[in-house]
Amino acid sequence: MTAPTTAGIRSELLKIRTTAVPWVLAGVAAVLEGLVILASFLGNRTSNGGYAVPSTTQELRNLLGSGYRGQGYLFALLLGALVITIEFRHKTVTTSFLVTPRRWSFVTIKLLSSALLGVLLAVLLLVVALVGGGITLWARGGSFSGLVHQIPAVAPGMILVFALFAVLGVGIGSILTNQVAAIITILAWFLIAQGILVALVHSAYKWVPTGAGDAASNLTRSDQATQIYPLFSWWQGTLLMLAYGLGFALVGSYFLTHRDIT
Amino acid sequence: MTSAIEVRDLSKQFGSVRAVDHLTFEVAEGRVTGFLGPNGSGKTTTLRMLLGLVSITGGGATFGGKRYLDLDHPIHHVGAALEATSFHPSRRAEDHLKTVAIAGGIPLTRVAETLDLVGLTDVARRRVGKFSLGMRQRLQLATALLGEPEILLLDEPANGLDPQGIQWLRTFIRHQASLGHSVLVSSHLLSEMEETVDDVVIISQGKLVLQTTLADMAAQAGTGTGLRIRTPEINRLAEVLNAVPVGWRQTAPDTLVIDGATPEWFGPFAAHHRIVLYELVNERGSLEDVFLRLTRGFDAANPLGPASGQSAPFQAPGGPA
Repeated sequence: MTAPTTAGIRSELLKIRTTAVPWVLAGVAAVLEGLVILASFLGNRTSNGGYAVPSTTQELRNLLGSGYRGQGYLFALLLGALVITIEFRHKTVTTSFLVTPRRWSFVTIKLLSSALLGVLLAVLLLVVALVGGGITLWARGGSFSGLVHQIPAVAPGMILVFALFAVLGVGIGSILTNQVAAIITILAWFLIAQGILVALVHSAYKWVPTGAGDAASNLTRSDQATQIYPLFSWWQGTLLMLAYGLGFALVGSYFLTHRDIT
Repeated sequence: MTSAIEVRDLSKQFGSVRAVDHLTFEVAEGRVTGFLGPNGSGKTTTLRMLLGLVSITGGGATFGGKRYLDLDHPIHHVGAALEATSFHPSRRAEDHLKTVAIAGGIPLTRVAETLDLVGLTDVARRRVGKFSLGMRQRLQLATALLGEPEILLLDEPANGLDPQGIQWLRTFIRHQASLGHSVLVSSHLLSEMEETVDDVVIISQGKLVLQTTLADMAAQAGTGTGLRIRTPEINRLAEVLNAVPVGWRQTAPDTLVIDGATPEWFGPFAAHHRIVLYELVNERGSLEDVFLRLTRGFDAANPLGPASGQSAPFQAPGGPA
């Protein structure tokens, strides 16, 4: 990586750290994950009325991957989109373009730093799962070491998919630089439109970003059973996610290059 | 004298609007050039084209022969404080400068130095959202100065400043020039800048009206000297004036201006002819008058008329000074 790119990423991380965005997103994601863990314990009763303790490999992996199950990926996506749209919202993009006049270079730096932020978010959520899961396992007499043993199986996919969704967020944000438009589009597609499409055409699931993300993560999300919709292999899913993220970023860079910053 | 900035035949078309029209001018090295024109005359668009923020429809602009986009580490060469640039409100002044310094490969020690230069040291840890307009202007200047650039572009830096702030800004700009830096500073008010600039570039409706030195412009202003007379006996005064070799023109039903006349001559003259006077004012044309005449004459009365402006021989700024 060239020196200007490294410097750009460091600057970018300071920029985002000095706004409320990453703290609010990470905080909400962590709290939601805590609630998901709590709910799954309270809702998972055994036949004799006691609480079921996750003990199988799949149960422990699901517990550790709680940050991704549910809608956790949305936080990485929004983080990526906000990292770029915040510059337009507050007009700090003028200064950024004065420092980094090449627009594609500006987008590249955003992609790389957002991927890094996605990784950090994934690590945070893994830690929350370890702590939250550990406490509940301990309280119910489960095995904490069993949970720890699943880290190598869960963490890589989780980290990868959060980075990929953050990159996709930057791609979307580079086209829809209006922050409100970007957020509404993301929520409308991922929470509504995509669900309708998949309900109509089951085989489309593996092609949409969430399906590609599921494949890349190697994790089962609670709102979609991998057994219902077929998925690509993890590397195919990764490539598809990258194609979406980088493809949008390429289109966004093209528009930005021809855009007047007035 | 070499040019710090060269603008050649620069044009910008926004839809059907020609915002900048075949604009050519130079900014001389080590001098302060006022970039003057009424609001909406294309100053900001021109500055943003120079900096690669707004795409160029025709022509070009270079800093020491290179486009901004082609400069290696541009903020080390060109510092810009533009209008409508903003800051993230929850970011602290110091952190804002750090983000720019890190990205630009500038040592972080410069952050405290520039804050000190613009007098913001005390509020370095304050969030920019709490800054007044004047403080934001200073923070803009600090941002521009971070890379110790030899060329500064300032877009309406006096906007929002109180009189002390404007005085401070003048000193600041003159100090930059004393360091050998070249400054291009835009304003819609010449009076704001006339104590600060060496050269002037005047534009109107995106076209160059005049590039000259302030000294030349002041000389032009001097020729506007005259004596303004208000009298109820304007016809009789005109009659007696026609008998003597002076130029005069009527400016209102009861007012006329005698070119080059002094009160010492006209007072006794009026007394001799027993003419009643209501007012006798020694008028010295100000630079602002010249500026207004040039820009107004140019865009409203006669767009093609004062071609004096447009086709004026390109004057090497600073030549005579």
